Amino acid sequence: MEINNPEFVITFTTILVSGIGIILGTAIPTTMQGKAVLKALDGITRQPESANDIRTTLLIAMALLESASIYVLLVILILLFANPLLAQFFG
Amino acid sequence: MESIIPQVLFTLFGLPITSTIVATWCAMALIIVIILLISKFMPSGLEMIVDFLNGLVSGIMSGDNAEQYLPLLGSLAIFIVVANSLGIFPILTAPTSDINTTIALSLAVFFGVHIYGIKQKGMLGYFKGLATPGIMLPFEIIGQVSRTFSLALRLFGNVISGELISAIVFSIVPLVAPLPFVALGLFFGILQSYIFTALSALYIELAVVVQEN
Repeated sequence: MEINNPEFVITFTTILVSGIGIILGTAIPTTMQGKAVLKALDGITRQPESANDIRTTLLIAMALLESASIYVLLVILILLFANPLLAQFFG
Repeated sequence: MESIIPQVLFTLFGLPITSTIVATWCAMALIIVIILLISKFMPSGLEMIVDFLNGLVSGIMSGDNAEQYLPLLGSLAIFIVVANSLGIFPILTAPTSDINTTIALSLAVFFGVHIYGIKQKGMLGYFKGLATPGIMLPFEIIGQVSRTFSLALRLFGNVISGELISAIVFSIVPLVAPLPFVALGLFFGILQSYIFTALSALYIELAVVVQEN
């Protein structure tokens, strides 16, 4: 094993963290988005006349919730394709 | 994989011209050509587009003053739709898959919000409105900056994730398999353009509306 090689350690940790991070970072916001959709559908079935207002608010709220998982994705993309630690240690 | 950082094609007067800038020029030319074609062969189509955008904006902004913000918001919507859809052409990359483009768009919204706010309430009234309880001023400034960044990063992240997924599927099965993902990317591009416009309208609405005591 090349466990003493720092480059190997950084790459291995990056891959591990990326895998775990993308799972957590998409599963949690998606669960909460599902809750928001459930509540919105509940409201639409109760008051069909306010469906348009609810739909607009729902889309904006979903976009704001979605940005959390987008941040996770961007951090992982930077780690995978432009890793600052590798560049710092190995030129 | 070079898709995160756009490649430099050539330099013009010392400025590096990347592939996304060329794609932006293509988007601008495409918008002009499409608008000219519509106005020549189907003049009622232009009215339909403006009516649609007006309905979109006035659904979010209260009151009947939505029309005066239509030039900024409608241009943003049209440009982002065309720019996101440009990624499906094989030789072009979507201009919004470059973070510089999306930051430029969100900076336009940032300055637009303040300019409209100052125009509506006057210089003193607007800045007094920002710091109504004096303790809230730092949080307000943090909020203004962070929502500008989140506006840019949301668009960039959505577009780049769609492109990366179709690129990964293309590298595994090149023949028919990427098509659903490309279609999904097209749909998300249109949805993101709606969301960008809606959030910009919301921010302008928040800056412009006069608090009644």
